Amino acid sequence: MEALWILYRQRLRRDRWQLASWVLSIGVLALFAVAAIAKSFGDEAARAEILRLATATPAILLLRGLARGPELGSFTFFEIFAFLALLAAFMNTFMAVRHTRAEEEAGRADLVSATAAGRWAPLAATVLHGIAANILVAIATALGFVGGGLDPAGSVVAGLATGAVGFAFLGVGLLTAEFFSTSRSANGASSALAMVAYLLRGFGDATGEVSADGMTMTAAWPSWLSPIGWGQQTFAYTGNRLWPLLLPLALGVACTAAVAAVMARRDVGASILTGRAGRADAPSTLRGAFTLALRLQQGAIVGWCVGGLATGVLTGSLGSAIQSAITDNPQVTAVLRSMIEAQGTSMTQLLVAALFEVAGVLAAACGLQAVLRLRQEEAAGTAEQVLSRPVGRVRWLGSFLGLGAASVVLVMAFTALGAWLSLVASGDTSSAVGEVWLTAVNQLPAALIYLALPAAVFVIWPRATIPAGWALLGLGVVVGIYGSMLGFDQTVRDLSPFTHSPVTTAAGTDWGDGFWMLGIAAALTLLALLAVRRREVGSA
Amino acid sequence: MDTVIQTVDLHKNFGRVKALDGLDLEVHAGEIHGFLGPNGAGKTTTLRILLGLARASSGTATVLGLHPWADAVALHRRVANVPGDVSIWPNLSGGEAIDLLSRLSGRAEDREGYKRRKKQLCEIFDFDPSKKGRAYSKGNRQKVALIAALATDAELYLLDELTSGLDPLMEAVFMREARRLVQENGATVLLSSHILSEVEHLADRVSIIRSGRIVDGGTLETLRHLTRTEVSFSADSVETHALAALTQVHDLVVADGRVKFGADSDRVHEVLPLLGTLGVKDLLVAPPSLEELFLRHYGDQVIEPVQEAHDGARRHRGHRAAAGAGA
Repeated sequence: MEALWILYRQRLRRDRWQLASWVLSIGVLALFAVAAIAKSFGDEAARAEILRLATATPAILLLRGLARGPELGSFTFFEIFAFLALLAAFMNTFMAVRHTRAEEEAGRADLVSATAAGRWAPLAATVLHGIAANILVAIATALGFVGGGLDPAGSVVAGLATGAVGFAFLGVGLLTAEFFSTSRSANGASSALAMVAYLLRGFGDATGEVSADGMTMTAAWPSWLSPIGWGQQTFAYTGNRLWPLLLPLALGVACTAAVAAVMARRDVGASILTGRAGRADAPSTLRGAFTLALRLQQGAIVGWCVGGLATGVLTGSLGSAIQSAITDNPQVTAVLRSMIEAQGTSMTQLLVAALFEVAGVLAAACGLQAVLRLRQEEAAGTAEQVLSRPVGRVRWLGSFLGLGAASVVLVMAFTALGAWLSLVASGDTSSAVGEVWLTAVNQLPAALIYLALPAAVFVIWPRATIPAGWALLGLGVVVGIYGSMLGFDQTVRDLSPFTHSPVTTAAGTDWGDGFWMLGIAAALTLLALLAVRRREVGSA
Repeated sequence: MDTVIQTVDLHKNFGRVKALDGLDLEVHAGEIHGFLGPNGAGKTTTLRILLGLARASSGTATVLGLHPWADAVALHRRVANVPGDVSIWPNLSGGEAIDLLSRLSGRAEDREGYKRRKKQLCEIFDFDPSKKGRAYSKGNRQKVALIAALATDAELYLLDELTSGLDPLMEAVFMREARRLVQENGATVLLSSHILSEVEHLADRVSIIRSGRIVDGGTLETLRHLTRTEVSFSADSVETHALAALTQVHDLVVADGRVKFGADSDRVHEVLPLLGTLGVKDLLVAPPSLEELFLRHYGDQVIEPVQEAHDGARRHRGHRAAAGAGA
């Protein structure tokens, strides 16, 4: 028992800043969401009108949630819950992998398990840590909603729902970690599962049955396959049902039990899926800094491209589904514009603009990872091996940045391809079909900023590369893409590169900000390439 | 004699810590040069500067006539390097890592020759190249860098704490390969270590580094002049008064049934006739070891138990010396 307590405190101490920022972000997002909704859709009549529109538009339901009436509380829950639950899911999968597979991979689990702690105390401590963290998430969410002036009972239910979804993904993360031998694969797979859960409830909500007045709806079956969908079933503020939360709690417990069953049979450090043996000789293509970068990043690039392709296909299929229900009423389009926060005249254009912005974030993350890999190579010591061969520092950095830029373009190309294919397949003949390529190009400047800016950080302040890289991307997304929903001032929103992505309208494309961003990205890249000539590359 | 490596008054500061404090190192072409010093003396920092991975705070370093920081790429075409703590890519197999590193070096142009050499080295070092990088132990990771270095012909080999990860059998294989490099290819080897015996058996000359400065150096012969050879024999019914009276004999003691004394290394032969007349049994003559030099430079005072332990090691070598003398 003492070992459990020691290990729990070690986890808490190691995660204190990370955990605090996750919990605080979730709570603050809840608070901002209420404030923004109260400000822009103040009276119930306005909310009812918007809700009626939303329930008639599957795309909005996909990105928002399950409509349960126009009261401020239930409207807020409809708008923000799925996103909060997704954040809680990510927090938990990363946490689960960090304290299990990552420890085993680094060999630290051997050290700990060889003490009186044994094999079980580390798992128990991780579960305890996760439960405590999810209780904090529940409290922060509830406080955020209450702070925004919502009904306390409903807010507590909403908080519990967020925490319960989080706990389910703690289990999912732990179980995924049993399968993979590396924390990188385990993190990738468990985050993908969280995204799948988000999309499943999206499909369920988009295809749900709407009541006659358009104010409430019941979700279709795919929502019932998703822990986030279970959380929505609490009907916080209107129904305040707690029984659906038994499902995510049961999933979390079942996953943990499965983990225990696997661990009872396996060696410390072993995994269910074992890596294949490698080849004794390298393929003849593996012979330089660029091909090494490609080899190291290929899995991630394929993953992000699949994400882009899926986003594109989704955009296209939703766009064509909506065409039937299209309205040319400019007032309606204006409201829609503010809800999916995009520009465009036809419904398809709106949707393409909104979802391609999301794909732009995927592309930016893919580019960012090329820079993060540089830092990982440096910290692991493998960079030194390459640089003690006839490979200059400029060429080394340039190879990874070149690959990053190429992968950014590739992700957007796959997004456009997916959208184009699905639109063409649906028989859409509007100008929106051809515009998908242009809209994809529109996202490139902002994404390239996320290649160049972290590269400059890497050269000037190497140790900050990884935290700064993700933090800059996260801030850019929250401020630039969710900024208006959260009620941020325009001057704040202007800080995000995503706010400045060129927009294609009927009048054409305004490239001004796009060129500025390309210029900034080029200048930062040049700075990094020049400065690396003077920088030592080592594990410091 | 050609100078391959020369550093003059080399300094390297990390904040207020002086990792190198006026290091003057000279390595000649075609020699195996031992670079000896305890942990933290600045060996790895020196090697990183010689490779152009780190920049000297002041002073000059010249390697193969090039400036390591400014001409790093040109230099790396001619230098092979094995770091002390080798990291390899977790998702590349050992064989792939060897191929990549060799190709990056730009010296693996002769594909068939390289392939043959790699296969041969994998065999003599008993290395399985088809495992993924993360599955290798420390010693096997070091073999990746070592095989990649030996599979291509370089003019200069920089080997850092090489045998720290190799078992004695592999150490012997490595020594054979290192001698071959020098004798057949005329290469130069700089071998850093805190283990004396490996350098002692391999190096033509040594430099001893302490706290970022070279404190002693030269050929093993010149260094041994400064030391004493240890002689011991069975104490059974031997009269030692005559021995103790000789000026060449120092610190004569009788302990654990053996008589031990130190003799000036260049005057050992003057003691031998007397030992013959005494009819001593079980004679051991241990040549001076670098350990003594080491202790002189690193031990601010010589601690007795440490010396006892070293005596054990020396007796081992003494057997070999005695056998050689008998032949």
